[in-house]
Amino acid sequence: MSTTLFRTIQPNHFTLLTTALLRTRTKTSRHISVRCQTSTTTQQPRTSAPKNHGSNKLDEILKDYEAVIGIETHVQLSTSTKAFCSCPNSYGSHPNTSICPVCMGLPGALPVLSSKVVDFGVRLGLALNCSLSLKSKFDRKQYFYPDLPKGYQISQFDVPIASGGYVDVDIPLEFGGGHRRFGITRVHMEEDAGKLLHSDAGDYSQAMIVDLNRAGVPLLEIVSEPDMRSGVEAAEYGSEMQRIVRYLGVSNGNMQEGSLRCDVNISIRPIGQAEFGTKVEIKNLNAFSAMSRAIDYEITRQALLYNQGQADKIVTETRLWDEGAQKTVTMRKKEGLADYRYFPEPDLPEVILTQEYVDSIRASLPELPEAKRRRYEAMGLGIQDVLFLANDVSVAEYFDEVIGKGADVKSAANWLMSDIAAYLKNEELSISDVKLTPHELAELIAAIKDETISGKIGKQILFELLAKGGTVQGMIKEKDLITDPVEIEKMIMKVISESPKQLEQYRSGKTKLQGFFAGQVMKMSKGKANPALLNKILLEKLNAKE
Amino acid sequence: MATRALLAVVTASPPRMIQIKASTFSSSLKFQRHITTIGRCFSSDTNPSVLQPPDVSRLAETARISLTPSEIEECGAKIRQVIDWFGQLQQVDVSSVEPAIRAEMEGGNLREDAPETFENRESIRASIPRFDEVYLKVPKVLNKE
Repeated sequence: MSTTLFRTIQPNHFTLLTTALLRTRTKTSRHISVRCQTSTTTQQPRTSAPKNHGSNKLDEILKDYEAVIGIETHVQLSTSTKAFCSCPNSYGSHPNTSICPVCMGLPGALPVLSSKVVDFGVRLGLALNCSLSLKSKFDRKQYFYPDLPKGYQISQFDVPIASGGYVDVDIPLEFGGGHRRFGITRVHMEEDAGKLLHSDAGDYSQAMIVDLNRAGVPLLEIVSEPDMRSGVEAAEYGSEMQRIVRYLGVSNGNMQEGSLRCDVNISIRPIGQAEFGTKVEIKNLNAFSAMSRAIDYEITRQALLYNQGQADKIVTETRLWDEGAQKTVTMRKKEGLADYRYFPEPDLPEVILTQEYVDSIRASLPELPEAKRRRYEAMGLGIQDVLFLANDVSVAEYFDEVIGKGADVKSAANWLMSDIAAYLKNEELSISDVKLTPHELAELIAAIKDETISGKIGKQILFELLAKGGTVQGMIKEKDLITDPVEIEKMIMKVISESPKQLEQYRSGKTKLQGFFAGQVMKMSKGKANPALLNKILLEKLNAKE
Repeated sequence: MATRALLAVVTASPPRMIQIKASTFSSSLKFQRHITTIGRCFSSDTNPSVLQPPDVSRLAETARISLTPSEIEECGAKIRQVIDWFGQLQQVDVSSVEPAIRAEMEGGNLREDAPETFENRESIRASIPRFDEVYLKVPKVLNKE
């Protein structure tokens, strides 16, 4: 159903993408830099801009072929303990210290599920519009690997906690814009394996080293329907997962630390063909921009094989994204479905949810990114503003507080997206670090609006409040702003007497020159004159001897 | 994991689950592994009443254990017995019974999310054969799936 929908949208979408690649370069760097902080999606045009040939080639390919993309997302949960034991779950602890008989799989040790994992699973399931299984169970997925002490992973196989949902995303304007809905097959609870690393020293080729602190850390795996059709759509899906887990507070969603890991399944097929092509899995994607580029690379690679009559060389395998070489390479070939010999975990009871419990969690869900975007849109903000503000949950919360204080919506958005965002980027801070409270930003916007202060002074006050905190009223006092009408009048008279030519022009109808006089007075007052008073008195004086 | 493949297994799962639950009765860990592997063989079989003889060599390989030819022969007969027993179980008509996903247990055995450091970590570490400073040292993995 969605397949046909996307096929009709797609050619248009990619033409737009190419133009966007060219267009983005002329854009102000403000927008790009700002979005990069939390979502790397918009980095894509910058990195691939020199390779415009590549995307032209992609355009050509997509006239004949359609890519089918599904994504598995592993979300590491921000619980205090591991999934089935009380070992601390803390990233960056001294290696191999957060271990106990349960997560090491010692004989006789029994797992006990943390209630927080269930809580997070229900939260995410509901946020992804899934149906929840009031009864679900755990299974053992068996394989041998040095990062897996027990010899099996506790996961959910045939009865996951949540299934059959969807997620709505907005494609950024620079990639053609538009709204998409992607299906969610399932969400299930499982545990992470340890971390396997290459040894730096000595016999590099012979040994690997393991840190088992991560073994047993809780994960939620989100499996999408194969609904994505391009690298851009896949990257946007990934970004939305990141936003959702951060909005929900179930994970920090950090890709570099591996708290959010996306594996991409991709196949291509000639347009019009009903069956799927051979599916390839891509791993090692640690940024959404890499995801987008890896997919574009893989589409090109597979199409080339098709065109050369070598479609049989596309085999079921796992490929790794090589960031340095900007290509995918074979990691391992799969022989059919791996033989994991799943069976129900005998050491854990079924997970039973009551309807009351589910309802109480549903009632406690925060406003989610999609709802926020639609609300901001309804407030009259443009889609660029909407996407920026809703992208980062702490920015969105800050913005909501500012407008909650009655601040003008568009002004609040502008301040956040321009000067405040630039400040945050320069200082490498996040919005929660700044000393400017939402209340004071609202005050500042109001003071500029009622012309208590000029925009220029407003900006100065903004940067001082960002860095040092304080109140707008305090800053106005401190700045020694001139609000005495007599003093302002004196300056106005001086400026008028020094500019007889302009006065004459003004009085003969060139009223635009009012700006010139106001500027001169402002300059004389070193920007400290109250602009409302200034303009009021200036008009009186200019029009006085008419 | 492949959704389609998953669905295929899911549709075949109710009889499989009944068989596997029985595996928890087994006292031998090693044996348990064998049974579950066989359980999977059943589930992919379109006619569950026809049970295939065990391929003991393959089972041993998936469990990463080495068996001598005489052990294979000995195990083969024992596993065969168990399979036959499952064959009997499968003849029971359960069409009117709602599948239980797990045995009934008292609810509420969840744990608070309060961290606790296991005190005797040293004895766990002491049993690890090789270290590279703070990391466990393992042979480079030759993938065998």
